[in-house]
Amino acid sequence: MLVLMMIEDMLADLGCESVTTAATVDRALALINAQVFDAAMLDMNLNGDKSHAVAEALAARGVPFVYSTGNGGHDMKEGYPDRPVLKKPFKFEQLVESLTRLTLSPLER
Amino acid sequence: MAISKITKKSEEQKDAEATVEKFKEDLGPFVVAAETTRMAMVFTDAKEPDDPLIFANDSFLSLTGYDRKEVLGKSFRFLLAHADDAKALAQLKTEFESASHSGSEVLCRRKDGSEFWTDVFISPVRNERGDLVQHFASFADLTKHKEEQAQSKMLIDELNHRVKNTLSTVQSIVWQALRTSSDPKVNQESIESRLFALSRSHDLLTRESWKSAGLRDVVNDALAPFVVADGRAERIVITGENIRFPPKAALALGIAFNELATNAVKYGAFSNGEGSILIEWTMKPSPPDGNRLFLHWQEKGGPTVTPPSRKGFGSRVIERGLAHELEGTVHLAYRSDGLVCTMNIPTPKGARHG
Repeated sequence: MLVLMMIEDMLADLGCESVTTAATVDRALALINAQVFDAAMLDMNLNGDKSHAVAEALAARGVPFVYSTGNGGHDMKEGYPDRPVLKKPFKFEQLVESLTRLTLSPLER
Repeated sequence: MAISKITKKSEEQKDAEATVEKFKEDLGPFVVAAETTRMAMVFTDAKEPDDPLIFANDSFLSLTGYDRKEVLGKSFRFLLAHADDAKALAQLKTEFESASHSGSEVLCRRKDGSEFWTDVFISPVRNERGDLVQHFASFADLTKHKEEQAQSKMLIDELNHRVKNTLSTVQSIVWQALRTSSDPKVNQESIESRLFALSRSHDLLTRESWKSAGLRDVVNDALAPFVVADGRAERIVITGENIRFPPKAALALGIAFNELATNAVKYGAFSNGEGSILIEWTMKPSPPDGNRLFLHWQEKGGPTVTPPSRKGFGSRVIERGLAHELEGTVHLAYRSDGLVCTMNIPTPKGARHG
């Protein structure tokens, strides 16, 4: 909860106009269906449910996303291993760099 | 040709059985021991290519699930889970050549298709002239050991996950404190207060094996350091069932109650000698999603409340953080006679009073 609030603050500092958060897979899927997102950050473990369904929904809509995890990404059994991973804890600068890469067009990367 | 081969095999078989019979006569008690020991063991004919089995004890048969007649005459390699397992084949070759003294871990397959790990130890058996006539192989089932290894790896991964999440939480506590104030004393207090609240929630969850925690215990533990002074224990009333919440929700609730209590001590009912706090909750059915928790935190008798000019971190944690984490609504009302916090949150599926 506190980590999520910090990330919200970091994103606001970065100039994100709108930040929406979801604590469960169901809520995340509902939001992805209802709104258009520029980028997403996905916890590898959303409240105990595997977040794979969310990754699939994001990929299907072409929303770029970065994983965030406490385990360095090697715990990923299903998912998108080629997507970037932010290892917790991470610095503001790492979040900025990661999101900047995500939102650049493929040619600019 | 096929028939002649079978005939040849059965001739071999007869020879082998005769050899084993001779063993029994020569070595009586040792053969009985080999037949009845709980360690799986076999003898192979070292004079034939591929070391066919000439003896298998009962433990070997129960380990592999085969009947004796199904294994006698077969090459040792038939046990391998993957016939082309180059590493296992190389290990077995080394074992057969007696170049290993520590045994080899090999993945094998039972008759029913299931796989199991075993340690294989192979020793040569020589006749009086010193010629290699047989191999003796024993097997130590590693299934339990492998399960324990997997369990241990899972625990380490889980521990690492929790440590990293906790470090992130600590980072966010420090980050918030430094954004809110530049006074080192204020920062120290707010960081310590939140770290200790987190620590108390961890203690509670550890006592409950990190399965769940009761709401009453969460509230009591969160408020414990705030009620020790000034007879405050007498000025607080907590009414409600010990409804169980999963660890993540319990941690969030612990932090939220710590924020409410901190505020009460600084500005609210616990900032003077008379104020009191009433905390009560009930669980009500709320079809179709199950039950919802309605919680009321009401302060009375403190100094007259004026709404803060800007919302601090504490109120954000309670109204936004907690509401989001528990997918409910949480509201703070700065009523002049005392702060009121109301929570309306879904209780976990299958939540029991406990």
